[in-house]
Amino acid sequence: MTHAIDVRNLHKAFGDLEVLQGIDFTVETGEVVCVLGPSGSGKSTLLRCLNRLEEPNGGQILIDGEDMTDPDADVDQLRTNIGMVFQQFNLFPHLTVLKNLTVAQTGVLGRPKAEAISIAREMLERVGLSDKTHDYPAHLSGGQQQRVAIARALSMKPKMMLFDEPTSALDPELVGEVLDVMRTLADEGMTMMVVTHEIGFAQEVADRVVFMDAGVVVEEGRPEQVLEHPAHERTKKFLRMVSEH
Amino acid sequence: MKKLKPRQRLFVYQLMMYGLAAVFVLVVATQADWPKIQKNFFNTEIAADMFPEVITSAVKNTALYTALSFVLGMVLALALALMRLSSLKPFRAFAIGYIELFRGLPALITLLFVGFGLPIAFSGFRIPGGVLGRGSVGLALVAGAYMAETLRAGIEAVPKGQTEAARSLGMSQTRTMFTIILPQAFRIIIPPLTNELVLLIKDTSLFFILGSTPGTKELTKFARDFMNAERNATPLTVVAILYLLITLPLTFLVRRLERSAAKAR
Repeated sequence: MTHAIDVRNLHKAFGDLEVLQGIDFTVETGEVVCVLGPSGSGKSTLLRCLNRLEEPNGGQILIDGEDMTDPDADVDQLRTNIGMVFQQFNLFPHLTVLKNLTVAQTGVLGRPKAEAISIAREMLERVGLSDKTHDYPAHLSGGQQQRVAIARALSMKPKMMLFDEPTSALDPELVGEVLDVMRTLADEGMTMMVVTHEIGFAQEVADRVVFMDAGVVVEEGRPEQVLEHPAHERTKKFLRMVSEH
Repeated sequence: MKKLKPRQRLFVYQLMMYGLAAVFVLVVATQADWPKIQKNFFNTEIAADMFPEVITSAVKNTALYTALSFVLGMVLALALALMRLSSLKPFRAFAIGYIELFRGLPALITLLFVGFGLPIAFSGFRIPGGVLGRGSVGLALVAGAYMAETLRAGIEAVPKGQTEAARSLGMSQTRTMFTIILPQAFRIIIPPLTNELVLLIKDTSLFFILGSTPGTKELTKFARDFMNAERNATPLTVVAILYLLITLPLTFLVRRLERSAAKAR
């Protein structure tokens, strides 16, 4: 059986700093995996290697069976299958919300304009922002911007979604609306990999939790297992520190 | 001597400065030969004689030379900036070499090279379009070097997350540059680019070196010839005012743009 994401012995170093020291793991289609870990543990780098925003130094990444690390792979084409949501939203500030959602649909996928617009409107409705279609990103709150960013990724009709600390840059009162959208997405069966500090979200929504530290996967399993009965000292220590806040 | 309080000291200091300025103005006003100045710099009859040609021909030519130089320079600057940021070392090296060379030369030298050097080096080769063509190409070669650095700074000022977001949507490097990065970069560099435009307007006064016919004179050449014919400096005053009428609104615009850009941040 092909996995949605299949990572084999992944290595990544920035200069002398080995950020990923041989990562192996898989994500199945329809699964929601949350990656936890202290800052500097390599979890964001791992996520960014998956669509090759970072160039891995070794190992293999298969996305739906297709080799992302093959030098001959059409990375641009493969990336259209992988939606990505960033900590800093990264909406295109010079384009309206609608144009943010259609620019890659028409330019990359070659969808006709009318189709792209109708998909964009559908996705904006999914994240509850139909009334912001013609606004510019600067006029939206952080939570709204992140929901637009999710809608933008969804407009490509990707097979899976990667979330890189999607709520870390948000004011506390805006976190909920973004997590709600992600929860709905998970319920609808989207394959999701989420790097997050939101333990509550992981506990409630994740099918599986991966705990990383110092460039390796320390442990993984069902959320109740990893979060409530962690097997490793490092996991326990991290959870203690997080829960103190 | 009694020691003054800070506020008093400031008052005395300001009083001295104003006094000095008043003396200066007084000396100039009494010593200058006003009737002579008026006759030589503000002669209304000579000024009236310059119209309408100074507008219909000289201002028109200055505007035309500036516009073409700016457009050609911008195209060149875009190519140079992209080469400067290329991952290929020969491209980078060429761009750096070009920029340093043409920023280091007086624009006059470049104009002479284009106007008179090229036809010698490539026998018979002439850039088409007469003074307009040769002058604008020469000035664009210089302006391109300056604007390339401005444009590069603008491109580098666009946050890296913009590129990452675009690439994660499957956009190619080229598409990302042209649909996402450059539109934002241009918005950032409108103020410095307007400054380049003001410099270009003034640099078109160098076109006289390429020779001129009555129809190709720009403001400065027009004024000089008029001055020589009339043995009077009034034409200089007239074109100085005309230059300022063009450049001051532009610099004023730049200041407003800079202020609004600072506010948006």
